[in-house]
Amino acid sequence: MKPPPFSFVAPTSLAGVVEAMAAHGDDARILAGGQSLVPLMNMRLARPDVVVSINRCDELDFVEVTDTHVAIGALVRQIDAERHASIGTECPLLVDALKHVGLPATRNRGTVCGILAHCDPLAELPAVALVLEAELVLTSAGGERRVAAEDFFVTEMTTSIEPGEIISSVEFIRQDPSEHSAFLEITNGGHAWPVGGVALRWAVTDGVCTMAHLAAFGVGSVAQRLTGAENELVGSDLGPEAIATAAIAARSEVDPTGDIHADADYRRHFVGLLLERGLTQGVSS
Amino acid sequence: MSNDQPTPDRFNLASQNHVGQSVPRREDDQLLRGQGRYLDDVPIPPQTAHMALVLSPHAHARITSIDVSEALALEGVLEVFTGEDLAGMVKPITAQIELPDYSSNSRDVVAVDEVRFVGEAVAVVVAESQYLAEDGAELVDVDYEVLAAVISLDDATDVDAPQVNPTVPGNVYYDGRFATDAVAEAFAAAAHIVSEEFRSNRVTAVPIEPRGCLAVPEHGDTLVFHSSTQIHHVLRTALAEFLDVAESNLRVVVPDVGGGFGIKAALYPEEFVCAALALRLRRPVKWVQDRYEALLTDVHARDNLYRVEAAVDDDGIVLALRAEIRTNGGAYAALPFGCTLETTGGARMIVGPYRISQYEYTATAVATHTTPTCAYRGVAQPVCFMAIEGIMDRIARRLDLDPADVRLRNMVPTAELPWTNVVGVRYDTGSFVESLEQAMEMADYREFRAEQAKGRLVDGKYRGIGICSFTEVSGTGAPGWRARGLTRLPGFDSGLVKVEPTGKVTAFVSHAHSGQGHFTTFAQVVADELGAPLEDVTIVEGDTGSGPYGTNTFASRSAVTGGGALIRASAKAREKLARIAAAMLEANVEDIEVENGRLHVAGVPSRSLSFADVAETAYAMNTTDLPEGETFGIEATDFYDPPLVTMANATHIAQVAVDAGDGRVEIEGYTVVHDCGRVINPMIVDGQVMGGVAQGIGEALMEELVYDDDGQLKTSTLADYLLPASVDLPNFNIAHIESPSIDTVGGFKGVGEGGVIGAVPAVVNAIGDALADLGVNVNTKPLRPALLSGLIREAGG
Amino acid sequence: MTEMHDIEVTVNGRRRQGRVESRRLLIDFLRHDLGLTGAHIGCEQGVCGACTVLLDGRTARSCLHFAVAVDGAEIRTVEDLATPDQLHPIQEMFHQKHALQCGFCTPGFLLTTVEFLEREPDPDEEDIREALMNNVCRCTGYANIVEAVAASAVELRRRGEA
Repeated sequence: MKPPPFSFVAPTSLAGVVEAMAAHGDDARILAGGQSLVPLMNMRLARPDVVVSINRCDELDFVEVTDTHVAIGALVRQIDAERHASIGTECPLLVDALKHVGLPATRNRGTVCGILAHCDPLAELPAVALVLEAELVLTSAGGERRVAAEDFFVTEMTTSIEPGEIISSVEFIRQDPSEHSAFLEITNGGHAWPVGGVALRWAVTDGVCTMAHLAAFGVGSVAQRLTGAENELVGSDLGPEAIATAAIAARSEVDPTGDIHADADYRRHFVGLLLERGLTQGVSS
Repeated sequence: MSNDQPTPDRFNLASQNHVGQSVPRREDDQLLRGQGRYLDDVPIPPQTAHMALVLSPHAHARITSIDVSEALALEGVLEVFTGEDLAGMVKPITAQIELPDYSSNSRDVVAVDEVRFVGEAVAVVVAESQYLAEDGAELVDVDYEVLAAVISLDDATDVDAPQVNPTVPGNVYYDGRFATDAVAEAFAAAAHIVSEEFRSNRVTAVPIEPRGCLAVPEHGDTLVFHSSTQIHHVLRTALAEFLDVAESNLRVVVPDVGGGFGIKAALYPEEFVCAALALRLRRPVKWVQDRYEALLTDVHARDNLYRVEAAVDDDGIVLALRAEIRTNGGAYAALPFGCTLETTGGARMIVGPYRISQYEYTATAVATHTTPTCAYRGVAQPVCFMAIEGIMDRIARRLDLDPADVRLRNMVPTAELPWTNVVGVRYDTGSFVESLEQAMEMADYREFRAEQAKGRLVDGKYRGIGICSFTEVSGTGAPGWRARGLTRLPGFDSGLVKVEPTGKVTAFVSHAHSGQGHFTTFAQVVADELGAPLEDVTIVEGDTGSGPYGTNTFASRSAVTGGGALIRASAKAREKLARIAAAMLEANVEDIEVENGRLHVAGVPSRSLSFADVAETAYAMNTTDLPEGETFGIEATDFYDPPLVTMANATHIAQVAVDAGDGRVEIEGYTVVHDCGRVINPMIVDGQVMGGVAQGIGEALMEELVYDDDGQLKTSTLADYLLPASVDLPNFNIAHIESPSIDTVGGFKGVGEGGVIGAVPAVVNAIGDALADLGVNVNTKPLRPALLSGLIREAGG
Repeated sequence: MTEMHDIEVTVNGRRRQGRVESRRLLIDFLRHDLGLTGAHIGCEQGVCGACTVLLDGRTARSCLHFAVAVDGAEIRTVEDLATPDQLHPIQEMFHQKHALQCGFCTPGFLLTTVEFLEREPDPDEEDIREALMNNVCRCTGYANIVEAVAASAVELRRRGEA
């Protein structure tokens, strides 16, 4: 299908983008990679009056390592983040997840921030954002505010972005070199969206688990932290029994609905399964 | 390993230098360069208008009003037509099926009062561009009175089910029955009765190129109609009939086609509408569907339910078979095959390669408020073999026998061929036992079983091996179509072989290509039969404006009917070349040999002429007179109508690993031993097999068209209708057996559909085998991870 | 009033200009405005890859880009691979390995292979299958395409080309 008509602007600065968004509010959508937006427009499901491209805003194309975080600008393509040396060192969990995102051609153009803004329930990166304590930097005509990932993803296709705001960057916490992490997902076929998956991050000191950040997606309208499972793990020896207990906790704290790709029972099941697999392979490696 | 029966001489080619060779394809150069010309690439004349359809969002509704004014007011929109407008231009389209116990129905090309499935067209917008046509379509305002709908084949014949069509009482299109005389006795006396219910869910072909057409009025009253179709002659005749225009003023041209797989061998309302509007508006009209429309309105397939029971003795021999087959025909009987192909096909083919002499079936095609179903690669056979091969596995499990041994015991031995099965289908040659034995060897089947005996669950995976031994209907001629009620389908195909004045060869054949390599394979056949160099033969097909009439390309027929017709025509042309050469060389015609573009006197190679030399005489372009009684030119037409059907066979063996935790299936090995008679081009045959197997694996594991209770199609994009990707598929281990047909000219059999016919049952059976120790019953498809995981956990695995 | 934009892109090494509606998809601009019909439309959702072109050196779904949004970009289509006299080695290998049947998806696969082998000149089968996720083929079952890509890798190394 072909998209309906719209106006197109491509400002060369963040200020210009923000100005355009302020002028058009709800009638405008940001075009970054377009790999999420354009399919919706081609189906005439998204019908913005104005499309504001950020692709000319070089200032949004940056990766910066601070004391605590890695900041990724809104124009950074998924493939570039996946291959970026610093991101590979500092946020290996993000790199693991990026390998599963979309298809090669969509990763070439799609952006990291674009996925977060789109907030698809089956997207990989929101779960990673939760686990890597991400902060979204939102810029508008009124200035800048920061929103923690846990407050950002509200429900299916809905974030706490306000009209006139754009994500100008996202900051992921730098993983300590001694941390472990794992990203696992299940799909029904090579080109399919995932049924769901988990993003896992944990730390062990002297044989005791000192930190566990676990998130799942595909179990609800938005990615969620598995706090019950986390509580079971922290303070444990991360042995098979502890992991099994955490898996049980994880299954009981999600409330998925079924669809044609997987029923609710399976979605509940895979959360525990992937948790066990991820923790076991991480612990043994 | 070939059949021991001698192949009659008349079915052998005059020479065999090219047939049997993996000649690289001459099609490739253009396609690789991106110079293929598919429908949307065909240059359009200025003034071409673009068509977009307004589709019904309801499965069953009355149209209470249509307001086109807003659409018409949009700049760039030229016209908007409703069903009533189109009814004045196109008669209701009807598939002509003559079967006892068959109820026909017609279809308005655009719905007039009532819509019967989501996706049925209710209005047509014509605009200056595709973008504008879609804009216009959005503005057409249709009011509906929503009516109750029946969606599933289980509910279609309920007493209170809404009637889909007034001429199909009780929602039953067809109810066929058959029984031999001693079925009841066989069941009564049987040591064991093995029964199962198999459910196949709906799929469609999904060629990567969507459908489309371009209608161009030309000088006089001629209409040139380009269509991404497999059946250009059938389409032309239908356009003439339903548009009530002279067939001689119609020319249908098939461009390059990006995959057909049977769904482009249906005739669609859009084609009739596009042609009618071009004639009405006196300007070219183009229509190209998008993927959403494709999934919604391409003919669907395989929405079938089989209840099968076998009366079995203690050795696992099937003494009698009962099958209750139910197929979902959708809202309308599609053209030209109607909706009973799956019904009659499954009923007739289920006995497969087995010696089953007592058989009873009821085969029912029902109507529902869903997309019409018709022919998709394999047509019924992937499902009827899922059923019978599933029964074979269950017999094995019940009697503690090996599933391969059960099959071997039940198969018709090759020495007994030719053999006619219980419904009257003749198997002329074949290799049922040999193909299974060879496949087992290639797949290390016995070793797998020995290993498996130690336990099916290893390293968190359940491993299984599944077999499908099957017969494949191919090369159906008129008798075959009549037997299934398709009296309007001709059955024959034609070849016209010309030797041009300069000695090159142009051969026309009544087929159309959609990826099978016709330009290469048919050239191989002509070159061998005519005695011409391969590079001197050009194949022309897919244009009703050139070349003779035929039944065209579907149901694995092109090698049989096209090959056969071309052999006959080539033989005639060769004979004429020989007669003229004999006269020119002052020799006896019996002493003339034809080889590689030259004709010479046997034993005297120096006394020879080139094709060009002989052609010059034939075309009166030199001073040599034609022999007495000989006509000018060298042009020979002939036809071929195969007897009933030509039965090919194969065995597929799939090895799978089912993950005990997440239910995902990996295909760890895949073996095919197939027999399509004389092979023209092994490379192309392998390609057809692999592509078919891929579709079968997709169908077994992930492809499904899902309707909700309101008849909304939930799987309307490729994100929901999943096609197998490169990482989902294995490498394939393929071997050929050649048992040339003794019934067909050339000895060819078809192979286009074998891949998918074998793969669906082989994979389903492999998964059933993998989970057999758990007592899990696998009797449906697709077998998604969630489904398998649930079954495994339920069984305590 | 329909909003029109003047754009200039470099396509297969040549500068091309156009005047396009905002919503005109890159695939339509390439196919109908520039006459480069090698890229095809299969789904307009970014899944099938029949529309794949190289955009600033990387494979991209031309059905998911607006022509106006890639103003100034460098685009390569399948038409850039062969010369009138000779096929590109990758095309030659696809031919030899019977890696195409209907040919509709083939241009996309060729460009994916170009990108992939530039980055991974010596891939194994698993790498190749992973890379070929970029495109959907409904005719071949992929096995011959995998072989063609493997053979292309060997051939390109042999010829010393990148």
